Amino acid sequence: MNGGERVPPGDVAPRFPGFDVLDQADHWDDATRSVVLSRVHALPPIRFFTPEEEAAATCLLDRLMGQDDDLDPHRIQLVRMVDGRLAERETDGWHYDSMPQDDQAWRDSLAGLDADARDRYGRSFAECGLEQQRELLSAIHGSDQERWHGMPPKQVWSLWTRYAATAFYSHPEAWNEIGFSGPAYPRGYKNRGVDKREPYEVPDARPSDDPVRGRRG
Amino acid sequence: MTIAVRERNESAWLLTPRGGVDHRLRDDMRRFDDDDEVDLVVVGAGAGGSALTQRLARKGWRVVALDAGPFWDPEQDWVSDEAGSHQLYWTEPRQIGGSDPVPLGSNNSGRGVGGSMVHYAGYTPRFHPSDFSTFSTDGVGADWPIAYEDLKPYYEQMEAELPVAGQTWPWGDPHGYPYTPHPVGGNGELFLRGAERAGIEARVGPVAITNGRFGNRPHCIYRGFCLQGCKVNAKASPLITHLPDALAHGAEIRADSMVTRVEVDERTGRATGVHYVRDGRQRFQRARAVAIAGYSIETPRLLLNSASDRFPNGLCNDFDLVGRYLMVQGAPQTGGRFDAEVRMYKAPPPEVSTEEFYETDPSKPYKRGFSIQTVSPLPITWAEHIMAQGHWGADFRNYMSDYVHWACLGALCEFLPQPGNRVTLADEKDRNGMPVAHFSYSQCENDRQLVKAATAVMERILKAAGADEVVTIDRYAHLVGGARMANRPEDGVVDGECRSFAVPNLFITDGSVLPTQGSANPALTIMAVATRAADRLIAGPDAPRREDAAASVPARA
Repeated sequence: MNGGERVPPGDVAPRFPGFDVLDQADHWDDATRSVVLSRVHALPPIRFFTPEEEAAATCLLDRLMGQDDDLDPHRIQLVRMVDGRLAERETDGWHYDSMPQDDQAWRDSLAGLDADARDRYGRSFAECGLEQQRELLSAIHGSDQERWHGMPPKQVWSLWTRYAATAFYSHPEAWNEIGFSGPAYPRGYKNRGVDKREPYEVPDARPSDDPVRGRRG
Repeated sequence: MTIAVRERNESAWLLTPRGGVDHRLRDDMRRFDDDDEVDLVVVGAGAGGSALTQRLARKGWRVVALDAGPFWDPEQDWVSDEAGSHQLYWTEPRQIGGSDPVPLGSNNSGRGVGGSMVHYAGYTPRFHPSDFSTFSTDGVGADWPIAYEDLKPYYEQMEAELPVAGQTWPWGDPHGYPYTPHPVGGNGELFLRGAERAGIEARVGPVAITNGRFGNRPHCIYRGFCLQGCKVNAKASPLITHLPDALAHGAEIRADSMVTRVEVDERTGRATGVHYVRDGRQRFQRARAVAIAGYSIETPRLLLNSASDRFPNGLCNDFDLVGRYLMVQGAPQTGGRFDAEVRMYKAPPPEVSTEEFYETDPSKPYKRGFSIQTVSPLPITWAEHIMAQGHWGADFRNYMSDYVHWACLGALCEFLPQPGNRVTLADEKDRNGMPVAHFSYSQCENDRQLVKAATAVMERILKAAGADEVVTIDRYAHLVGGARMANRPEDGVVDGECRSFAVPNLFITDGSVLPTQGSANPALTIMAVATRAADRLIAGPDAPRREDAAASVPARA
């Protein structure tokens, strides 16, 4: 793997060229290395989702995280990470009283997505094109309705995005994309402070590429 | 001072010479039978339960502390990884509701020996003297049955035992700290710069992270990841600050034991022990006295689930106060974007604070106030911030790729205690058949105004430091209340010494007894309240007879 190839969607070049956090894995403690590498090499097979749910969840998670190229060799296997959490009931430790427990809420909401897709486009969510999928999701994200298939749409969105973001940014490929150096035990960080870097950290190639300013400008 | 600390709490010297957990201490741990009537059974080995256990074991009490989660070994069990740390949080089912539902889990709820202090940031400010009489002084909140002066000696003891590092503190009751402040990273540097330019006083600290060697505990290595459990054993948690000494003095820590019910003898009106589940089996530990320290969700849940003929609405709930007046702090986080690289993940998230806005400002329309601290979220938590702004897809990824350029501050706003903010039992049951907790939360107008004011100050600081953009998300931090202390049973569940009004040998020694929360992180105050309760127990009628006590101290201590 070459982390330096990691390019955010819509960008033409990586922000942290040549940076690969796994180059430092030999300096990590055993427990941490084992947990991080298991996401890269040893994700368990799908245990919780049915094939239909797996298909819908794959597209949902990839759209939420902007992984829009199915053939991208760096694509992170989000659906398997989310499936693993649900199979092992690894929840966030709470659920809204207006929602079922997380595992059931995932099943219900994926069924809701497929129902919306059939209603509007006559096919399942996974069979829709990227733009169609995005439109279906935008409608839920922007919804001011009390209920969407029996659940508050804001809370459905919260459920999806929490699981998606946790899966995506737990992966070293995502750390490469954002220049995050990750674990530093037992070594620690030696160069702390504004514009200071460890010898293995890579400066941002486009430091003034401010997404907030960019969007407003 | 080190000598004085070691004489009352030797924990830091009972780790291995390299600062790790000494497994011999655990292997040789005294073990009681369920049928042994111990002097005290403690429910929950977190901040309050552990400090209490250590103090009483030192005085020869036969103490068992039961904890629902594991007895951690930081080196083996913890990782420098956000997602991989999910086992540190209470992830049994819980429901949240109300008009402003408060997420639990990683936000505020620990699991396992050491409790939430395993994953707290490490900030250990004291409460201010004004916190103890907000009702009399400000007309909001509640008055405590004790005053700041009652807790002050215990604050000093805990600051020496954790120990705490920081600059001389000018706010509240001005005081110094036993250890000098840590050097700051990029986030702390920008906070200090922005505060100075904005004319706001800020200070480095106070954090319970060793700055220099303390006993066998090593110096902090500035790896970030304080919220994922400190593998270095530089950040204080009772797992290393109080329990080693408790074990050396004959206490038992019984991990993986979920207490489901407190038993009270209907004839005598006294607690006789606790029912708990271990390895799938229902068991009962006999005890002369019971101390509950399960924190603000589990303590009320346990009391409510311990209903009986005498207490049909839940144990100690004669006045419908159990579970009520539960508080969280409003904790908006404001990020500031800099062209320079901040890389806020380096250095501990707790670095710099200001308490300049802590008390009521008569020129403002709201009562009480807020503090501001560095927070430094790691990528997953930062991603949740960005998604809360409405971003997703390619736009979101692009936003996230800018992570190293952001500094982040967090406020702690003193939300007011309200009776409707409470824990009740839901219809849903956990795998032991025990009803799960439902936590309802709704803000009042004063709460909302505090969040707005705190956000404005954070934006001012970050802009003064040179940020070209700022974004804020609303969130919550900490839990206290739910079984508050008061002068009389009509107003609270326990008295100022943590003894329940309804059952004379039942105590509550955790954050749930706090009647107000100030704008301070609660860990230090919880420990101070629990160690004060310990001193009262030792001097009181529940103390075991002296000759028994002396005989029960194992020779190896």
